[in-house]
Amino acid sequence: MRHYEIVLLVHPDQSDQVPGMIERYGATIEKANGIVHRSEDLGRRQLAFPISKIHKAHYILFNVEVEQDVLDELESAFRFNDAVIRTMVIRRKGVITGNSLLYEEELRDKEKDRERDRLAGKSSEKKTDGEEPKEEAKDESGSDQSESKAEESDEAQESRESKEGDEGSE
Amino acid sequence: MSKDSKNTSSGDPEIDYKNLDKLRQYIGETGKILPGRISGASASQQRRITTEIKRARYLALLPYTDQHR
Repeated sequence: MRHYEIVLLVHPDQSDQVPGMIERYGATIEKANGIVHRSEDLGRRQLAFPISKIHKAHYILFNVEVEQDVLDELESAFRFNDAVIRTMVIRRKGVITGNSLLYEEELRDKEKDRERDRLAGKSSEKKTDGEEPKEEAKDESGSDQSESKAEESDEAQESRESKEGDEGSE
Repeated sequence: MSKDSKNTSSGDPEIDYKNLDKLRQYIGETGKILPGRISGASASQQRRITTEIKRARYLALLPYTDQHR
């Protein structure tokens, strides 16, 4: 078996399918006695130039060890998947694990987003309402939005609770 | 220009299509790949840099030119 690195660009409208796709392709590889050494969801990234009038794409990275026929199967699956707008498969010489630089970047971005949401949650609710549509326009990934909303609601509850606690103490 | 002194025999793992900051050092303002005589990279390094930049371009991680609309 040989080592390959696979990169997929997924249409941003199909971003919510990405976790499912990672699972599905991982399952097909493992069913065929292949090994997935690394699979990363690199999130939505700005493209350096538009591809078929799309300016952003969701990147997925796999490092796998598979037989040739399984790789052929995967490649045809990518071709017939309309959500996949571009793929690249390259040979690698050995096992590659650990976070890639792009994934580190994505993690840092997510952390920054969370930080921003936290700060927005602390300021008045009107402000957060104003900021939400902006974030959507910036094409944040769906999971991020749901996370941030969940966090905001949590924080709102916390603040309410703390207020009640204050009242009680007084 | 100064040549990079730290180069390993079996290819520098730093030179990778995912290492965009590194690769950006080897493209000019217009997005073109700098020639080896300008970048100071050794011939073998320059070959690696070239292929990795081209991979990054294919994935739209780096521009081909500054004229993209």
